[in-house]
Amino acid sequence: MRLLLVEDDTLIAESLNRQLTAAGFTVDEAGTAKQAERLGQQEDYRAVVLDLGLPDGNGLDVLKSWRSGRRTMPVLILTARGDWQDKVNGLKAGADDYLAKPFQAEELLARLHAIIRRSEGRSNDLLTVGGFVLDENRQYLTLPNGTDHSLTGTEFRLLRCLMARPGRVFSKEQLIEQLYSLSDSPNENTIEAYVRRLRKLVGQDTIETRRGQGYVFNANS
Amino acid sequence: MSSMPIANPRKSVRRTLLLLLLPAGIALMGLAWFIHGLLLEQMSRDFVEGRLKDEVAFLEHQLTRTGADLKKLDTGAYFEDVFHHAFAIAIEDENQVSPDKWQPLLEALIDDERTGPFLVGAPTEINVAGKLLAYRKTTVINNKPVVIIVADDLGELHQTQQSLHLWTAVVSLLLVGLLASAIWFGINLALRPVKALQLALEDLRQGRETRIHTQAPEEFRPLVDQLNQLLDTLDQRLERSRDALANLSHSVKTPIAAVRQILDDHERELDPSLRREMARRLSDIHQKLEAEMRRSQFSGPQAGKVAHPVKQARDLLWMLGRLHPDKNFELSTDLDEAHRWPVEEHDLNELMGNLLDNAGKWASHHAELALWETGVSFCLQVADDGAGVADDTLTDLGTRGLRLDEQTPGHGLGLAIVADIVGRYGGQITFSRSPAGGLNVLVVIPA
Repeated sequence: MRLLLVEDDTLIAESLNRQLTAAGFTVDEAGTAKQAERLGQQEDYRAVVLDLGLPDGNGLDVLKSWRSGRRTMPVLILTARGDWQDKVNGLKAGADDYLAKPFQAEELLARLHAIIRRSEGRSNDLLTVGGFVLDENRQYLTLPNGTDHSLTGTEFRLLRCLMARPGRVFSKEQLIEQLYSLSDSPNENTIEAYVRRLRKLVGQDTIETRRGQGYVFNANS
Repeated sequence: MSSMPIANPRKSVRRTLLLLLLPAGIALMGLAWFIHGLLLEQMSRDFVEGRLKDEVAFLEHQLTRTGADLKKLDTGAYFEDVFHHAFAIAIEDENQVSPDKWQPLLEALIDDERTGPFLVGAPTEINVAGKLLAYRKTTVINNKPVVIIVADDLGELHQTQQSLHLWTAVVSLLLVGLLASAIWFGINLALRPVKALQLALEDLRQGRETRIHTQAPEEFRPLVDQLNQLLDTLDQRLERSRDALANLSHSVKTPIAAVRQILDDHERELDPSLRREMARRLSDIHQKLEAEMRRSQFSGPQAGKVAHPVKQARDLLWMLGRLHPDKNFELSTDLDEAHRWPVEEHDLNELMGNLLDNAGKWASHHAELALWETGVSFCLQVADDGAGVADDTLTDLGTRGLRLDEQTPGHGLGLAIVADIVGRYGGQITFSRSPAGGLNVLVVIPA
């Protein structure tokens, strides 16, 4: 399994390289953002370990440029800052997991194996209807105007259901199957609340109500 | 919220008030003087008209008594005494005019069409100062048509009226002067606390005082309170960061020295137990650094800081959904994305992040974050459907008084951080069993 290790601290890089090799990876090393970006675009890696603080740039920018070039390999980011906003930013840039420094090699290996396993079964499909693009892997909706919106689990499943068959009417009962709830069993009011939330995102007319029948995703609007 | 400034904010309050109040006072006084002139004019004319009308009625009465015979009308000394005004009476072709010098003017009026009061310009040959006010009445007495005219010289009246008006002007000017000084005095009196504030601030800057103690007027009290609160926060923060740095350097230097000692000792071999010992020292340093870092990062309640709870919650839920693709993270709220809470953004992120991270770790399928607010508090609740916590531990979670330095973040429940933040906002944290059996954490932060 080929793996790209992007780390500028030579001590860490050397030690990690040895341990990753011992775990069965074929490791390429990059110490600068420039080198990392080139390797990530050209070569085919099974996974990437990416340090964010690089001498010639930010690791997040490297990651963004890979993702915009539709490179989908799983990426684990290493960061010295551990607050939640950094983690969110890392994942928004396209990372699959993060690990705060200092870390233990065993934990790094466990996380690496987890994101590789996760990436194996996943589809990197984009569901495109009208100008709307639903990224199934990342649970992101891109609007016709180009803005991205993160979706919660239920929002994503409802939207995927509606967008998979644009123009088809889904009854509330069919949509309820997409809901989970902790407390009482989900009912039709819950569906209505979610549809309201989705309409705020995609526009009032995009999800149409058919009185007495259900909801339709309108591809043309 | 921005409002149009009424005056240039760089101008002084004193100057703005003076520029506004002084011209306004002068203009109002001038207007009053002008209106006074108009009223005076109207009043004197009404008065003269009334007199003229009365005298016409008197003459008419006299003529009726004498049977409309001019010769029988007593125009002797009595008449001259009673009558202060010029008059003319015409019965058929007979005229009588008094005094004689007004004859040409009044005779011309006998054939006039107008009745009632009207103004007549005086010809130059009659020695009067201005216009005349005449009252003309036509009537029939003893079947004879009768015209009665009584006239008065308005000129004299005008002169007294003007001198009165002039005096009013003088008094008005005096009043304007008094008004101006009253305004000046009032502004200075009202602004005296500002001067005191300035002095207090100067004292503060020079270090003579540590807080503003001035009795500020009601309008300035929030400002002074805010300033004092800011100073408190600043002091606390300074003290805290000094303490933190001192603690940190103290606790970090020893392990560093220990590790250096071992590394500098070339004779000694690095056997596994020594390696473990060194690693433990380094972990100590890391833990202490982390604890102090977190402590210094939480700001606690602070003026002018806002968080966007829904936006932040969505990001965190989305992120945890990516990290645990087999679990469902849901948001339940009626607040909209632009909604704001007066909590520092980083604090709220840590609060929700740690609670959700926990829920994500323990949930079997589902974790839910609910956000709402009541009139007096901001509430957030995180629930999961995991195994939960045993009931006796549940009560412990809330009462043990978890402190950050007693519990290491990343190990255990990570609730230490949450409890610390909630404490800084004077909030409450309640643990219970969720409907699905997992842990339910309710955080209430007072508004």
